[in-house]
Amino acid sequence: MIDAHLLTSGIIFGLSLGSIFFLMTVGLSLCFGLMRIISLDQLLYYSLGAYVTYSISHATSYVWLGVLAGAVVGGLAAFAVERLLYRRIYERDITFSMITSFGMLIAGIGAIKYIWGLTPRPVSVPITAEVDILGTLVPIYRLVIIGAAFVVYAGIWLFLNRTMVGKAIRAGIENVEHVEGLGINVYRLFAVTFIIAGTLSALAGGLYAPLIMVDPQMGLDVLAFAFMVVIIGGLGSIKGTFVSAFLVGQVVSLGSLAYAPLAQMAPFAIMLVVLLVKPTGLYGSPLLKR
Amino acid sequence: MSEAGGDALSVIGLNVWYDEAKALFDVSLRATSGQVVACVGRNGAGKTTLLRTVAGFLKPRSGSIASAGVDLVGLPSYGVAQLGIKYVPQDKMVFSDLTVRENLELSSYATGDYDWEPVTTYFPKLKALMDHKAGHLSGGERQMLMIGRAILGRPGLLLVDEPTEGLAPGIVMHLKHVFRDLSKRATLVIVEQNLPMVCAIADTLYAMSDGRIVAEFAGRGSVRPEVCERYL
Repeated sequence: MIDAHLLTSGIIFGLSLGSIFFLMTVGLSLCFGLMRIISLDQLLYYSLGAYVTYSISHATSYVWLGVLAGAVVGGLAAFAVERLLYRRIYERDITFSMITSFGMLIAGIGAIKYIWGLTPRPVSVPITAEVDILGTLVPIYRLVIIGAAFVVYAGIWLFLNRTMVGKAIRAGIENVEHVEGLGINVYRLFAVTFIIAGTLSALAGGLYAPLIMVDPQMGLDVLAFAFMVVIIGGLGSIKGTFVSAFLVGQVVSLGSLAYAPLAQMAPFAIMLVVLLVKPTGLYGSPLLKR
Repeated sequence: MSEAGGDALSVIGLNVWYDEAKALFDVSLRATSGQVVACVGRNGAGKTTLLRTVAGFLKPRSGSIASAGVDLVGLPSYGVAQLGIKYVPQDKMVFSDLTVRENLELSSYATGDYDWEPVTTYFPKLKALMDHKAGHLSGGERQMLMIGRAILGRPGLLLVDEPTEGLAPGIVMHLKHVFRDLSKRATLVIVEQNLPMVCAIADTLYAMSDGRIVAEFAGRGSVRPEVCERYL
């Protein structure tokens, strides 16, 4: 039997990990849903967010300012990449975007090594206080991360359901050609979506930075988890990504409590089961080939 | 749309390819302002390809497409739509996750036309369905929504692809009246397999076969189901 204290902190750990997974992959999922691209470069913005957080927090000693700056830099980088690169390859086959974006990820990691060096960099935790939950001390910073994921989820929901641009994006996820046929410039929607995606990926990196060592490979380290989260949730579904991020987070966290090697293996087992039962993922719909 | 500067639609010598397969061969077609032009032919004759090329979804290898003197070749499809040229696809795929209201809102957002009266006048049934998810609509209701979406912004040219396919006779009759009324303020190019319906409203009829225009009938008197039948 697992110790109760261990279980509480394990659940909190899993929730915070799931929150990071969600922020990191929601862009990937949105970009696939609307533009039918596999944007592995999201993981580059994730790393970039963490590194900018490191640099700014060391220069100013304000970690939050670093996180904010990281998100802005991530959004700007995404804007540039969308303009210079994706705009030229939207028409191509989906595998083309996957290879291109993986190339970008590798090249970006090279650039990060060039700028920040190979040594892992620490970022201090902005909130060191702990709170007592059911007799277990839990770091408040982890609760803040969980709160951030819920706020972002609610924000995306409001954006997609309450604004015209958001509604156009939802319509485009179903059928982008019909949106264009109404007279809406879909390339503008693509740009907006990609910038949101890059900003959130960078936010994930920035928020996670104080809990890990920031190193050049951090994007590649989470690549498999990012893939699993979007596939289990169903590509293109925000709700699916949200649910599956927390599922994978808990599986990693509680799995490692039960038996350490499970942390790496259990998510794959879950993915296998989900895909056997529902090949489109938990909330995915059969996708049209474009 | 202004009447000056040429026909509502003028297609000359259009050649369209899907990669290595040629789909349209030297297609020429003309619709003067306010006309109803029908295009008939078997499946695979190139009717949909023709409409999709005019709407900007496909790029022709050669040939010209103009509307009211404006060259359409090379415009993105949203640009064509912004000129008041709306394509109503045959797939009847409304945005099923959005409500009927949201479907119409998107069209208003695109065109800046928030006057839904024409839509609800033609299709009063949509009024009661405003807050329903469009995915729950019947085939006929979906077609009403597709046409309703297209006529917001008061387009000058409507390209309608097989509007009655798979619909109940009552709705086909209803649509016939709607098209006839719409033709008072817009030019219509309709692709159809339903000859009685299309012959009742068309001023000019083109028959297509294997990517070519094979016959043209101009004038109400000559557009009759008997003469057109052999092209289906």
